[in-house]
Amino acid sequence: MNYGPLLFLAAFFALAGSWFGFVLTPQAQIGQLQPTNMLGAPTLYPQARPGLARQGLGVYRANGCADCHTQQLRQRGTLCDVVLSDTGTNIPAVITALLKVKPGLSGPAARQWLSVLPRPVLQGLTPAEADAAVRVLNGAGAKATVSIVPVGPDLARGWGKRRTVARDFLFDYPVALGSQRIGPDLANVGARQPDAGWHLRHLYAPRLEVKVSAMPPHRFLFEKRKIERSPSPDAMVLPRDLAPPPGYEIVPKPEAGALVAYLLSLRADAPLFEAPLTVIPAPGAAGATNAPAASGATSTNAAPTKAPAK
Amino acid sequence: MPPETAEPGAGNMPVPVWLMVLFFVLLYGGMVFFDRYGGWFDAEVYMPYASLADVQACQPHGGGPSAERGRAVYENICGLCHNSDGKGRPGQAPPFVGSEWVTGSPNLMIRIPLSGLSGPVRVDGTEWNLSMPAMGAALPDDDLAGVLTYIRQSWGNKASAVTPEQVKAVRAELGARSQPWTAEQLKALP
Repeated sequence: MNYGPLLFLAAFFALAGSWFGFVLTPQAQIGQLQPTNMLGAPTLYPQARPGLARQGLGVYRANGCADCHTQQLRQRGTLCDVVLSDTGTNIPAVITALLKVKPGLSGPAARQWLSVLPRPVLQGLTPAEADAAVRVLNGAGAKATVSIVPVGPDLARGWGKRRTVARDFLFDYPVALGSQRIGPDLANVGARQPDAGWHLRHLYAPRLEVKVSAMPPHRFLFEKRKIERSPSPDAMVLPRDLAPPPGYEIVPKPEAGALVAYLLSLRADAPLFEAPLTVIPAPGAAGATNAPAASGATSTNAAPTKAPAK
Repeated sequence: MPPETAEPGAGNMPVPVWLMVLFFVLLYGGMVFFDRYGGWFDAEVYMPYASLADVQACQPHGGGPSAERGRAVYENICGLCHNSDGKGRPGQAPPFVGSEWVTGSPNLMIRIPLSGLSGPVRVDGTEWNLSMPAMGAALPDDDLAGVLTYIRQSWGNKASAVTPEQVKAVRAELGARSQPWTAEQLKALP
Protein backbone atom coordinates (compact mmCIF):
# COMPACT_ATOMS: atom_id res chain seq x y z
CA MET A 1 0.00 0.00 0.00
CA ASN A 2 2.33 2.68 -1.22
CA TYR A 3 -0.59 4.97 -1.97
CA GLY A 4 -2.67 4.39 1.15
CA PRO A 5 -3.21 8.02 2.14
CA LEU A 6 -3.90 9.02 -1.49
CA LEU A 7 -6.49 6.24 -1.92
CA PHE A 8 -8.07 7.17 1.37
CA LEU A 9 -8.30 10.83 0.38
CA ALA A 10 -9.70 9.95 -3.04
CA ALA A 11 -12.40 7.75 -1.49
CA PHE A 12 -13.11 10.36 1.14
CA PHE A 13 -13.57 13.16 -1.36
CA ALA A 14 -15.66 11.01 -3.70
CA LEU A 15 -18.06 10.14 -0.87
CA ALA A 16 -17.99 13.61 0.68
CA GLY A 17 -18.69 15.19 -2.71
CA SER A 18 -21.73 13.04 -3.37
CA TRP A 19 -22.97 13.55 0.21
CA PHE A 20 -22.58 17.29 -0.27
CA GLY A 21 -24.40 17.25 -3.59
CA PHE A 22 -27.16 14.75 -2.91
CA VAL A 23 -27.83 15.16 0.82
CA LEU A 24 -26.59 18.46 2.18
CA THR A 25 -27.56 20.74 -0.71
CA PRO A 26 -31.16 19.48 -1.06
CA GLN A 27 -31.49 19.62 2.72
CA ALA A 28 -30.34 23.25 2.75
CA GLN A 29 -32.61 23.96 -0.21
CA ILE A 30 -35.94 22.42 0.77
CA GLY A 31 -35.27 20.87 4.18
CA GLN A 32 -36.93 23.78 6.00
CA LEU A 33 -40.15 23.86 3.92
CA GLN A 34 -43.21 24.73 5.98
CA PRO A 35 -46.89 24.87 5.10
CA THR A 36 -47.65 28.24 3.61
CA ASN A 37 -50.63 30.34 2.64
CA MET A 38 -52.32 29.57 -0.62
CA LEU A 39 -52.18 32.49 -3.06
CA GLY A 40 -54.84 35.03 -2.24
CA ALA A 41 -56.39 32.95 0.53
CA PRO A 42 -55.67 32.74 4.26
CA THR A 43 -55.70 28.92 4.10
CA LEU A 44 -52.59 26.98 5.02
CA TYR A 45 -51.34 24.49 2.46
CA PRO A 46 -50.68 21.61 2.63
CA GLN A 47 -52.80 20.21 5.42
CA ALA A 48 -51.85 16.88 6.96
CA ARG A 49 -53.82 14.01 5.43
CA PRO A 50 -56.60 12.52 7.56
CA GLY A 51 -55.60 9.47 9.66
CA LEU A 52 -57.33 6.94 7.43
CA ALA A 53 -55.61 8.43 4.39
CA ARG A 54 -52.25 8.17 6.13
CA GLN A 55 -52.91 4.46 6.66
CA GLY A 56 -53.88 4.35 3.01
CA LEU A 57 -50.41 5.55 2.04
CA GLY A 58 -49.13 2.35 3.68
CA VAL A 59 -51.53 0.26 1.57
CA TYR A 60 -50.52 2.23 -1.55
CA ARG A 61 -46.91 1.46 -0.78
CA ALA A 62 -47.45 -2.18 0.16
CA ASN A 63 -49.27 -2.92 -3.09
CA GLY A 64 -46.67 -1.28 -5.27
CA CYS A 65 -49.05 1.29 -6.72
CA ALA A 66 -46.07 3.62 -7.18
CA ASP A 67 -44.55 1.12 -9.61
CA CYS A 68 -47.16 1.98 -12.23
CA HIS A 69 -48.44 5.41 -11.16
CA THR A 70 -46.53 8.63 -10.67
CA GLN A 71 -47.57 11.54 -8.48
CA GLN A 72 -45.57 14.24 -10.16
CA LEU A 73 -46.71 16.56 -12.91
CA ARG A 74 -44.42 18.53 -15.16
CA GLN A 75 -45.11 21.92 -16.64
CA ARG A 76 -43.59 23.19 -19.84
CA GLY A 77 -44.40 26.87 -19.44
CA THR A 78 -46.70 29.51 -18.10
CA LEU A 79 -48.97 31.78 -20.11
CA CYS A 80 -50.66 34.95 -18.97
CA ASP A 81 -54.21 35.97 -19.77
CA VAL A 82 -55.55 39.46 -19.25
CA VAL A 83 -58.96 39.31 -17.61
CA LEU A 84 -61.21 42.34 -17.51
CA SER A 85 -63.41 42.17 -14.44
CA ASP A 86 -64.89 45.65 -14.20
CA THR A 87 -65.23 48.60 -16.56
CA GLY A 88 -65.21 51.32 -13.92
CA THR A 89 -67.14 54.50 -14.68
CA ASN A 90 -65.60 55.80 -17.89
CA ILE A 91 -66.94 53.36 -20.50
CA PRO A 92 -65.83 55.31 -23.64
CA ALA A 93 -62.24 55.48 -22.33
CA VAL A 94 -62.33 51.75 -21.58
CA ILE A 95 -63.57 51.04 -25.11
CA THR A 96 -60.74 53.13 -26.56
CA ALA A 97 -58.23 51.23 -24.42
CA LEU A 98 -59.84 47.92 -25.37
CA LEU A 99 -59.57 48.69 -29.09
CA LYS A 100 -55.91 49.55 -28.53
CA VAL A 101 -55.00 46.27 -26.82
CA LYS A 102 -57.35 43.99 -28.74
CA PRO A 103 -57.06 44.62 -32.47
CA GLY A 104 -59.83 43.23 -34.62
CA LEU A 105 -62.61 44.52 -32.41
CA SER A 106 -64.79 47.39 -33.66
CA GLY A 107 -66.46 50.07 -31.56
CA PRO A 108 -70.06 48.77 -31.37
CA ALA A 109 -68.78 45.20 -30.96
CA ALA A 110 -66.59 46.37 -28.08
CA ARG A 111 -69.58 47.81 -26.24
CA GLN A 112 -71.42 44.53 -26.75
CA TRP A 113 -68.33 42.64 -25.70
CA LEU A 114 -68.14 44.54 -22.41
CA SER A 115 -71.63 43.47 -21.36
CA VAL A 116 -70.51 40.11 -19.94
CA LEU A 117 -67.73 40.48 -17.39
CA PRO A 118 -65.38 39.17 -16.12
CA ARG A 119 -63.91 37.68 -19.27
CA PRO A 120 -60.45 37.29 -20.77
CA VAL A 121 -59.37 40.09 -23.12
CA LEU A 122 -56.17 38.48 -24.38
CA GLN A 123 -54.81 34.98 -23.92
CA GLY A 124 -51.44 33.30 -24.11
CA LEU A 125 -49.19 36.31 -23.48
CA THR A 126 -45.84 36.61 -21.78
CA PRO A 127 -45.84 38.39 -18.38
CA ALA A 128 -44.40 41.58 -19.90
CA GLU A 129 -47.04 41.74 -22.67
CA ALA A 130 -49.80 41.07 -20.17
CA ASP A 131 -48.51 43.81 -17.86
CA ALA A 132 -48.47 46.30 -20.73
CA ALA A 133 -52.08 45.50 -21.68
CA VAL A 134 -53.20 45.70 -18.04
CA ARG A 135 -51.55 49.09 -17.71
CA VAL A 136 -53.46 50.42 -20.72
CA LEU A 137 -56.80 49.09 -19.44
CA ASN A 138 -56.28 50.18 -15.82
CA GLY A 139 -55.18 53.60 -17.02
CA ALA A 140 -58.67 54.02 -18.44
CA GLY A 141 -60.17 53.20 -15.07
CA ALA A 142 -61.11 49.59 -15.83
CA LYS A 143 -60.07 46.75 -13.57
CA ALA A 144 -57.96 44.25 -15.45
CA THR A 145 -55.92 41.49 -13.86
CA VAL A 146 -53.27 39.09 -15.10
CA SER A 147 -54.35 35.51 -14.74
CA ILE A 148 -51.80 32.73 -14.85
CA VAL A 149 -52.30 29.55 -16.87
CA PRO A 150 -49.71 26.79 -16.53
CA VAL A 151 -49.33 24.69 -19.69
CA GLY A 152 -47.66 21.43 -20.63
CA PRO A 153 -48.44 17.94 -21.95
CA ASP A 154 -49.25 16.56 -18.49
CA LEU A 155 -51.68 19.39 -17.85
CA ALA A 156 -53.20 19.04 -21.33
CA ARG A 157 -54.05 15.43 -20.42
CA GLY A 158 -56.21 16.80 -17.65
CA TRP A 159 -54.05 15.38 -14.89
CA GLY A 160 -53.86 18.64 -12.99
CA LYS A 161 -53.81 22.40 -13.18
CA ARG A 162 -50.17 23.09 -12.31
CA ARG A 163 -46.90 21.29 -11.77
CA THR A 164 -46.31 19.55 -8.47
CA VAL A 165 -43.75 21.06 -6.10
CA ALA A 166 -41.94 19.79 -3.02
CA ARG A 167 -44.44 21.45 -0.71
CA ASP A 168 -47.24 19.21 -2.01
CA PHE A 169 -45.58 16.21 -0.37
CA LEU A 170 -44.69 17.82 2.96
CA PHE A 171 -46.75 15.43 5.09
CA ASP A 172 -46.06 12.23 3.14
CA TYR A 173 -43.52 9.73 4.37
CA PRO A 174 -42.27 8.13 2.25
CA VAL A 175 -43.11 10.31 -0.72
CA ALA A 176 -44.68 8.02 -3.34
CA LEU A 177 -43.45 9.94 -6.37
CA GLY A 178 -43.22 6.92 -8.66
CA SER A 179 -41.18 6.79 -11.84
CA GLN A 180 -43.21 4.88 -14.44
CA ARG A 181 -46.52 5.78 -15.99
CA ILE A 182 -48.13 2.49 -16.87
CA GLY A 183 -51.26 4.05 -15.43
CA PRO A 184 -52.19 7.71 -15.27
CA ASP A 185 -50.62 10.19 -12.88
CA LEU A 186 -52.38 10.29 -9.52
CA ALA A 187 -51.19 13.65 -8.12
CA ASN A 188 -54.73 15.03 -8.53
CA VAL A 189 -56.82 11.88 -8.58
CA GLY A 190 -58.88 13.07 -5.60
CA ALA A 191 -59.88 16.17 -7.53
CA ARG A 192 -60.49 14.30 -10.81
CA GLN A 193 -62.59 11.50 -9.34
CA PRO A 194 -64.02 12.42 -5.94
CA ASP A 195 -66.43 9.45 -5.85
CA ALA A 196 -65.35 6.78 -3.31
CA GLY A 197 -67.69 4.20 -4.88
CA TRP A 198 -65.99 4.65 -8.25
CA HIS A 199 -62.61 3.95 -6.67
CA LEU A 200 -63.86 0.83 -4.89
CA ARG A 201 -65.43 -0.59 -8.08
CA HIS A 202 -62.28 0.34 -9.98
CA LEU A 203 -60.10 -1.49 -7.46
CA TYR A 204 -62.35 -4.55 -7.55
CA ALA A 205 -62.67 -4.69 -11.32
CA PRO A 206 -60.84 -1.91 -13.17
CA ARG A 207 -62.49 -2.60 -16.52
CA LEU A 208 -65.93 -1.98 -15.07
CA GLU A 209 -65.00 1.72 -14.93
CA VAL A 210 -62.25 2.10 -17.51
CA LYS A 211 -62.71 -0.13 -20.57
CA VAL A 212 -59.05 -0.16 -21.59
CA SER A 213 -57.53 -0.31 -18.12
CA ALA A 214 -54.29 -2.27 -17.77
CA MET A 215 -54.60 -2.34 -14.00
CA PRO A 216 -54.79 -5.75 -12.30
CA PRO A 217 -57.92 -6.26 -10.17
CA HIS A 218 -57.22 -5.88 -6.47
CA ARG A 219 -59.85 -8.33 -5.22
CA PHE A 220 -57.74 -9.33 -2.23
CA LEU A 221 -58.68 -5.96 -0.75
CA PHE A 222 -62.30 -7.19 -0.59
CA GLU A 223 -63.93 -10.13 1.14
CA LYS A 224 -66.81 -12.35 0.19
CA ARG A 225 -68.95 -13.21 3.17
CA LYS A 226 -72.27 -14.73 3.99
CA ILE A 227 -75.07 -12.27 4.63
CA GLU A 228 -75.96 -12.83 8.28
CA ARG A 229 -79.01 -10.82 9.30
CA SER A 230 -79.15 -7.92 6.86
CA PRO A 231 -76.84 -6.94 3.97
CA SER A 232 -73.96 -4.57 4.79
CA PRO A 233 -74.40 -0.99 3.63
CA ASP A 234 -70.86 -1.18 2.24
CA ALA A 235 -71.62 -4.17 0.03
CA MET A 236 -70.45 -3.75 -3.57
CA VAL A 237 -73.07 -3.45 -6.29
CA LEU A 238 -71.66 -5.49 -9.16
CA PRO A 239 -72.92 -6.66 -12.57
CA ARG A 240 -74.24 -10.19 -12.79
CA ASP A 241 -71.07 -11.92 -14.01
CA LEU A 242 -69.10 -10.58 -11.04
CA ALA A 243 -71.83 -10.69 -8.42
CA PRO A 244 -71.47 -13.21 -5.57
CA PRO A 245 -73.91 -16.16 -5.28
CA PRO A 246 -77.22 -15.42 -3.55
CA GLY A 247 -76.82 -15.13 0.20
CA TYR A 248 -73.29 -13.74 -0.11
CA GLU A 249 -71.96 -10.22 -0.42
CA ILE A 250 -68.64 -8.59 -1.28
CA VAL A 251 -67.47 -5.88 1.11
CA PRO A 252 -64.23 -3.86 1.08
CA LYS A 253 -61.71 -4.73 3.76
CA PRO A 254 -60.41 -1.87 5.94
CA GLU A 255 -57.32 -1.68 3.69
CA ALA A 256 -59.50 -0.85 0.69
CA GLY A 257 -61.24 1.88 2.65
CA ALA A 258 -57.90 3.35 3.72
CA LEU A 259 -56.50 3.20 0.19
CA VAL A 260 -59.57 4.96 -1.22
CA ALA A 261 -59.34 7.61 1.52
CA TYR A 262 -55.72 8.16 0.52
CA LEU A 263 -56.58 8.43 -3.18
CA LEU A 264 -59.35 10.91 -2.42
CA SER A 265 -56.90 13.00 -0.38
CA LEU A 266 -54.55 13.32 -3.37
CA ARG A 267 -54.98 16.75 -4.85
CA ALA A 268 -52.16 19.13 -5.62
CA ASP A 269 -54.03 21.99 -7.25
CA ALA A 270 -53.73 24.78 -4.67
CA PRO A 271 -52.25 27.97 -6.11
CA LEU A 272 -48.86 28.56 -4.47
CA PHE A 273 -46.18 31.19 -4.82
CA GLU A 274 -43.79 28.71 -6.40
CA ALA A 275 -46.49 27.26 -8.65
CA PRO A 276 -48.75 30.21 -9.42
CA LEU A 277 -52.10 29.64 -11.00
CA THR A 278 -55.34 31.55 -11.41
CA VAL A 279 -58.72 29.90 -11.43
CA ILE A 280 -60.89 31.98 -13.75
CA PRO A 281 -64.44 32.39 -12.52
CA ALA A 282 -67.06 31.55 -15.14
CA PRO A 283 -68.52 34.61 -16.95
CA GLY A 284 -71.11 36.31 -14.80
CA ALA A 285 -70.37 34.05 -11.84
CA ALA A 286 -67.89 36.23 -9.95
CA GLY A 287 -67.59 35.21 -6.35
CA ALA A 288 -68.93 31.74 -7.00
CA THR A 289 -65.52 30.13 -6.39
CA ASN A 290 -62.96 30.60 -3.67
CA ALA A 291 -60.21 31.23 -6.22
CA PRO A 292 -57.97 34.29 -5.86
CA ALA A 293 -59.43 35.90 -8.99
CA ALA A 294 -62.84 35.86 -7.37
CA SER A 295 -61.66 37.79 -4.33
CA GLY A 296 -60.32 40.48 -6.64
CA ALA A 297 -63.60 40.50 -8.54
CA THR A 298 -65.71 40.90 -5.42
CA SER A 299 -63.65 43.84 -4.21
CA THR A 300 -64.12 45.53 -7.58
CA ASN A 301 -67.87 45.15 -7.32
CA ALA A 302 -67.77 47.68 -4.51
CA ALA A 303 -65.56 50.10 -6.44
CA PRO A 304 -68.15 51.90 -8.64
CA THR A 305 -70.21 52.94 -5.61
CA LYS A 306 -67.12 54.43 -3.96
CA ALA A 307 -65.89 56.15 -7.10
CA PRO A 308 -65.78 59.93 -7.03
CA ALA A 309 -68.76 61.72 -8.44
CA LYS A 310 -66.62 64.22 -10.32
CA MET B 1 17.23 -16.56 -27.43
CA PRO B 2 16.31 -12.96 -28.04
CA PRO B 3 18.22 -10.37 -26.11
CA GLU B 4 16.59 -9.26 -22.91
CA THR B 5 14.89 -5.94 -23.29
CA ALA B 6 13.95 -3.42 -20.69
CA GLU B 7 10.67 -3.72 -18.82
CA PRO B 8 7.84 -2.07 -20.81
CA GLY B 9 6.67 1.08 -19.15
CA ALA B 10 4.06 3.72 -19.76
CA GLY B 11 5.40 6.76 -21.54
CA ASN B 12 4.58 10.28 -20.61
CA MET B 13 2.38 12.30 -22.88
CA PRO B 14 1.29 15.81 -22.03
CA VAL B 15 -2.46 16.52 -21.99
CA PRO B 16 -3.22 18.10 -25.36
CA VAL B 17 -3.92 21.81 -25.26
CA TRP B 18 -7.15 21.50 -27.27
CA LEU B 19 -8.52 19.12 -24.64
CA MET B 20 -7.86 21.65 -21.89
CA VAL B 21 -9.49 24.39 -23.95
CA LEU B 22 -12.50 22.18 -24.66
CA PHE B 23 -12.76 21.38 -20.97
CA PHE B 24 -12.82 25.02 -19.97
CA VAL B 25 -15.29 25.91 -22.73
CA LEU B 26 -17.62 23.18 -21.49
CA LEU B 27 -17.17 24.32 -17.90
CA TYR B 28 -17.92 27.91 -18.87
CA GLY B 29 -21.00 26.87 -20.85
CA GLY B 30 -22.22 24.82 -17.90
CA MET B 31 -21.82 27.74 -15.53
CA VAL B 32 -23.63 30.12 -17.86
CA PHE B 33 -26.48 27.61 -18.19
CA PHE B 34 -26.64 27.19 -14.43
CA ASP B 35 -26.66 30.91 -13.86
CA ARG B 36 -29.47 31.38 -16.35
CA TYR B 37 -31.74 28.43 -15.54
CA GLY B 38 -30.59 27.14 -12.16
CA GLY B 39 -32.58 29.48 -9.95
CA TRP B 40 -29.59 29.58 -7.60
CA PHE B 41 -30.86 26.78 -5.34
CA ASP B 42 -33.91 28.79 -4.36
CA ALA B 43 -36.52 26.53 -2.76
CA GLU B 44 -39.30 28.39 -4.53
CA VAL B 45 -37.96 28.23 -8.06
CA TYR B 46 -38.98 25.18 -10.10
CA MET B 47 -38.92 24.50 -13.81
CA PRO B 48 -40.21 26.09 -16.02
CA TYR B 49 -39.28 29.20 -14.02
CA ALA B 50 -35.63 30.16 -14.36
CA SER B 51 -35.28 32.58 -11.46
CA LEU B 52 -37.11 34.12 -8.54
CA ALA B 53 -37.86 37.19 -10.66
CA ASP B 54 -39.46 34.87 -13.21
CA VAL B 55 -41.74 33.37 -10.54
CA GLN B 56 -42.65 36.82 -9.26
CA ALA B 57 -43.54 38.02 -12.76
CA CYS B 58 -45.95 35.09 -13.08
CA GLN B 59 -47.96 35.80 -9.92
CA PRO B 60 -51.60 36.70 -10.57
CA HIS B 61 -51.82 40.46 -10.17
CA GLY B 62 -53.79 43.50 -11.13
CA GLY B 63 -50.89 45.57 -12.40
CA GLY B 64 -50.97 47.87 -9.36
CA PRO B 65 -51.96 51.52 -9.37
CA SER B 66 -50.57 52.81 -12.63
CA ALA B 67 -48.99 56.19 -13.19
CA GLU B 68 -51.57 57.10 -15.84
CA ARG B 69 -54.39 56.35 -13.46
CA GLY B 70 -52.78 58.42 -10.70
CA ARG B 71 -52.34 61.31 -13.09
CA ALA B 72 -55.97 61.14 -14.23
CA VAL B 73 -57.22 61.20 -10.64
CA TYR B 74 -54.84 64.04 -9.78
CA GLU B 75 -56.02 66.24 -12.60
CA ASN B 76 -59.65 65.52 -11.80
CA ILE B 77 -59.48 66.21 -8.10
CA CYS B 78 -56.23 67.54 -6.64
CA GLY B 79 -55.03 69.63 -9.57
CA LEU B 80 -57.99 72.00 -9.34
CA CYS B 81 -56.42 73.66 -6.30
CA HIS B 82 -52.87 72.34 -6.20
CA ASN B 83 -52.41 73.07 -9.92
CA SER B 84 -51.51 70.49 -12.53
CA ASP B 85 -47.81 71.36 -12.19
CA GLY B 86 -47.93 70.66 -8.44
CA LYS B 87 -46.80 74.17 -7.54
CA GLY B 88 -49.98 75.07 -5.67
CA ARG B 89 -51.90 78.34 -5.88
CA PRO B 90 -51.27 81.30 -3.60
CA GLY B 91 -54.10 81.72 -1.11
CA GLN B 92 -55.66 78.44 -2.27
CA ALA B 93 -53.34 75.46 -1.80
CA PRO B 94 -49.68 74.88 -0.89
CA PRO B 95 -47.25 73.33 -3.42
CA PHE B 96 -46.31 69.66 -3.69
CA VAL B 97 -42.99 70.39 -5.36
CA GLY B 98 -40.26 70.27 -2.74
CA SER B 99 -42.78 69.79 0.05
CA GLU B 100 -41.43 67.86 3.03
CA TRP B 101 -44.98 66.63 3.71
CA VAL B 102 -45.06 64.93 0.33
CA THR B 103 -41.63 63.35 0.30
CA GLY B 104 -41.77 62.38 3.98
CA SER B 105 -43.47 59.37 5.54
CA PRO B 106 -46.38 58.04 3.43
CA ASN B 107 -48.10 57.29 6.73
CA LEU B 108 -48.69 61.03 7.33
CA MET B 109 -49.41 61.84 3.73
CA ILE B 110 -52.17 59.23 3.38
CA ARG B 111 -54.06 60.80 6.31
CA ILE B 112 -54.37 64.25 4.74
CA PRO B 113 -56.70 63.38 1.82
CA LEU B 114 -58.58 60.88 3.99
CA SER B 115 -59.58 63.37 6.74
CA GLY B 116 -58.47 66.77 5.48
CA LEU B 117 -56.08 69.29 7.03
CA SER B 118 -56.81 72.68 8.56
CA GLY B 119 -54.93 75.38 10.41
CA PRO B 120 -51.41 76.73 10.10
CA VAL B 121 -48.94 74.54 8.26
CA ARG B 122 -45.39 75.29 7.14
CA VAL B 123 -44.55 73.99 3.63
CA ASP B 124 -41.14 74.51 2.07
CA GLY B 125 -40.38 77.52 4.28
CA THR B 126 -43.71 79.30 3.77
CA GLU B 127 -46.50 79.58 6.32
CA TRP B 128 -50.00 78.62 5.07
CA ASN B 129 -53.23 78.86 7.01
CA LEU B 130 -56.01 77.22 5.03
CA SER B 131 -58.43 74.35 5.25
CA MET B 132 -58.50 71.30 3.01
CA PRO B 133 -61.60 69.05 3.04
CA ALA B 134 -61.34 65.23 3.02
CA MET B 135 -61.00 65.09 -0.77
CA GLY B 136 -59.74 61.50 -0.90
CA ALA B 137 -62.18 59.87 1.50
CA ALA B 138 -64.47 58.76 -1.33
CA LEU B 139 -61.70 57.39 -3.55
CA PRO B 140 -61.11 53.62 -3.73
CA ASP B 141 -57.86 52.45 -2.13
CA ASP B 142 -56.02 51.83 -5.38
CA ASP B 143 -56.99 55.18 -6.90
CA LEU B 144 -55.85 57.02 -3.79
CA ALA B 145 -52.61 55.02 -3.72
CA GLY B 146 -52.11 55.78 -7.40
CA VAL B 147 -52.61 59.52 -7.00
CA LEU B 148 -50.37 59.70 -3.92
CA THR B 149 -47.69 57.76 -5.80
CA TYR B 150 -48.07 60.18 -8.71
CA ILE B 151 -47.62 63.18 -6.38
CA ARG B 152 -44.62 61.60 -4.65
CA GLN B 153 -42.88 60.76 -7.91
CA SER B 154 -43.64 63.70 -10.21
CA TRP B 155 -42.19 67.19 -10.78
CA GLY B 156 -38.82 66.19 -9.39
CA ASN B 157 -40.17 64.48 -6.27
CA LYS B 158 -38.51 61.13 -5.74
CA ALA B 159 -40.21 59.37 -2.83
CA SER B 160 -41.36 55.77 -2.46
CA ALA B 161 -44.62 54.56 -4.01
CA VAL B 162 -47.75 54.21 -1.91
CA THR B 163 -49.47 50.84 -2.08
CA PRO B 164 -53.23 50.21 -1.85
CA GLU B 165 -52.49 48.05 1.21
CA GLN B 166 -50.97 51.03 3.05
CA VAL B 167 -54.02 53.15 2.22
CA LYS B 168 -56.31 50.38 3.36
CA ALA B 169 -54.46 50.06 6.68
CA VAL B 170 -54.60 53.81 7.39
CA ARG B 171 -58.25 53.95 6.39
CA ALA B 172 -59.04 51.14 8.81
CA GLU B 173 -57.05 52.89 11.55
CA LEU B 174 -58.91 56.16 11.10
CA GLY B 175 -62.32 54.49 11.14
CA ALA B 176 -65.09 57.07 11.03
CA ARG B 177 -62.87 60.07 11.86
CA SER B 178 -64.42 63.20 10.41
CA GLN B 179 -62.25 65.87 12.08
CA PRO B 180 -59.56 67.36 9.84
CA TRP B 181 -55.98 67.03 11.03
CA THR B 182 -53.81 69.88 12.20
CA ALA B 183 -50.13 70.08 11.37
CA GLU B 184 -49.21 69.54 15.05
CA GLN B 185 -51.30 66.37 15.25
CA LEU B 186 -49.67 64.95 12.13
CA LYS B 187 -46.18 65.81 13.33
CA ALA B 188 -46.87 64.03 16.63
CA LEU B 189 -47.59 60.78 14.73
CA PRO B 190 -44.74 58.31 14.16
